[in-house]
Amino acid sequence: MGTRKLSELAKTIRSKNAGVNQITFDIVFNDAQTYDRVKKSGALTEASVAKLYGMKPERISHFVEFDVINAIKFTIYRTSPSGGPGESDILGCQQYGPLMDIEVPWE
Amino acid sequence: MSERTMRILIPTGHLGTVPFRSESFYRGMETRPDYVVADAGSSDPGPVFLGADIPLGFFERDDLERLLVASREQEIPMLVGSAGDSGANSRVDLFVSIIKELAEAHRIPKFKLGYFYSNMSKEYLRRKIEDGRVVEGLGGFPPLTVEEVEGTDQMVAVAGIHPFIKLLDMGADVIIGGRCGDIAFTAAPAIRAGFPEGLAYHMGKMLECASLCAEPFMGKETVIGTISDDDIKLTPFHPDQRCTVASAGAHSMYERESPFYEYAVGGLLDMTECKFEQFDDRTCRITGAKWVPSEEIRVKVEGSRKVGERYIGLAAVRDPFLVQHIDEVIQWSRDSVAESFGKTGYQLYFHVFGKNGVLKEMEPVKEIRSHELCIVAEGVAPTGELAERITDFATRMMFFVRIPGVKGTAGAAAFIEKKPMRAIPAYEWSINHTVPVDDPMELFAVHLTEAGI
Repeated sequence: MGTRKLSELAKTIRSKNAGVNQITFDIVFNDAQTYDRVKKSGALTEASVAKLYGMKPERISHFVEFDVINAIKFTIYRTSPSGGPGESDILGCQQYGPLMDIEVPWE
Repeated sequence: MSERTMRILIPTGHLGTVPFRSESFYRGMETRPDYVVADAGSSDPGPVFLGADIPLGFFERDDLERLLVASREQEIPMLVGSAGDSGANSRVDLFVSIIKELAEAHRIPKFKLGYFYSNMSKEYLRRKIEDGRVVEGLGGFPPLTVEEVEGTDQMVAVAGIHPFIKLLDMGADVIIGGRCGDIAFTAAPAIRAGFPEGLAYHMGKMLECASLCAEPFMGKETVIGTISDDDIKLTPFHPDQRCTVASAGAHSMYERESPFYEYAVGGLLDMTECKFEQFDDRTCRITGAKWVPSEEIRVKVEGSRKVGERYIGLAAVRDPFLVQHIDEVIQWSRDSVAESFGKTGYQLYFHVFGKNGVLKEMEPVKEIRSHELCIVAEGVAPTGELAERITDFATRMMFFVRIPGVKGTAGAAAFIEKKPMRAIPAYEWSINHTVPVDDPMELFAVHLTEAGI
């Protein structure tokens, strides 16, 4: 059984501030079939993204499957509010990078 | 049966940062919309703009000029929210004076210019806390304390639809808003006209970033939202853009924790039953959003506090040995600063681009293959002098790093500039809370004046 990268399967993968202390991640698929297969694959879950980013699961405040538009969305707490000293991504808009390389079981 | 509608045009997701595109704007204006709106602010760019009371962009006058001239030509009301990024009083005053100057310069016939303020006094919040009213934290912030209020440099309340409706009732043709929710200025005229609140707020949410609700991705292009008693429709005016189920649905959940709910002053927008459908090739139709009024009215408050003066130093390494030992390079620099300046009384950060500059501890790639790295040293201290000295020393000590095995003995860092650069001072969000109010207008003073000739 092979794998496909999430970047090949999703139409949109992005991250952005949700308020000043959270960052939200959106993964949108072109069609329900791909979306369902990714959902069922177990490659994109609360546990898998916590592991990928090396964060404690408590940092994920929300993880939801949004069937209406074939999307998976999760939101995390920042370690400190946006734009303070030491900030490296004020808008939170480049935090999605590692999601692109997630290997989804596929055949 | 005749179906009544209201059409609202928005040309930009953030007025003043980068000029909105004229072609799609004028194409949209040719269709004679009922209202022209724009958002000019956000908490997104960080706390510095509110705290230091400065603007983010250089195109405020340019954007306001095209909006004002085109909307006054057709006598279409124009609503701008969150003036000058922070929506603070000084920004509102600046926008009002720009509008007056532009009206005179373009010899626009007299019109009514409304504006409202959003700044809050420390006294107001202190009284609330002392009266035992809980000022709840958002996004993980603990309840607000008097100490946090006292340490804050500037704070604004985030308005809902109410001051916009009040000013429209007073006859305003152009409204410059203080800080407000980005859905408020679109929802306000629609709700005032009696359209369903759920649809009106949802249209506000869909339009707030203009062309970002369409595809392919293009910023600063015009979109028109049309609300009826049954639905909302979104139509982009750039010829190559389309509002699709995917683009509109994705935007509906943009910048929010949950795709299903959004709080605004006085209630909750419930999108759990929303349906998105392709109405025509370029237009998406949306139905089903509901407005759930809340018993207690809470208003969001934003506050920013100065942390210190700030300098930035840049260094780069190309030696493959140093690239692989960059953590030791940084430790050496940090230790050297601590030896000379002590361990406290300042903050020092190293951003290592090419390694984990963007993601820091969340970066899963641990073994880097970069052939060169850029290190940004960021020093923050109570005085500019100390911030400069620390940042200068930290950057310089990367050049002098002592690690066994380095072959290059003439300097361990490349510079594009030998001195660190003064940056905007460091600020942090001190208030990100909601305060209970008796009246949604109690924090927002409205004013009406005249402009034009």
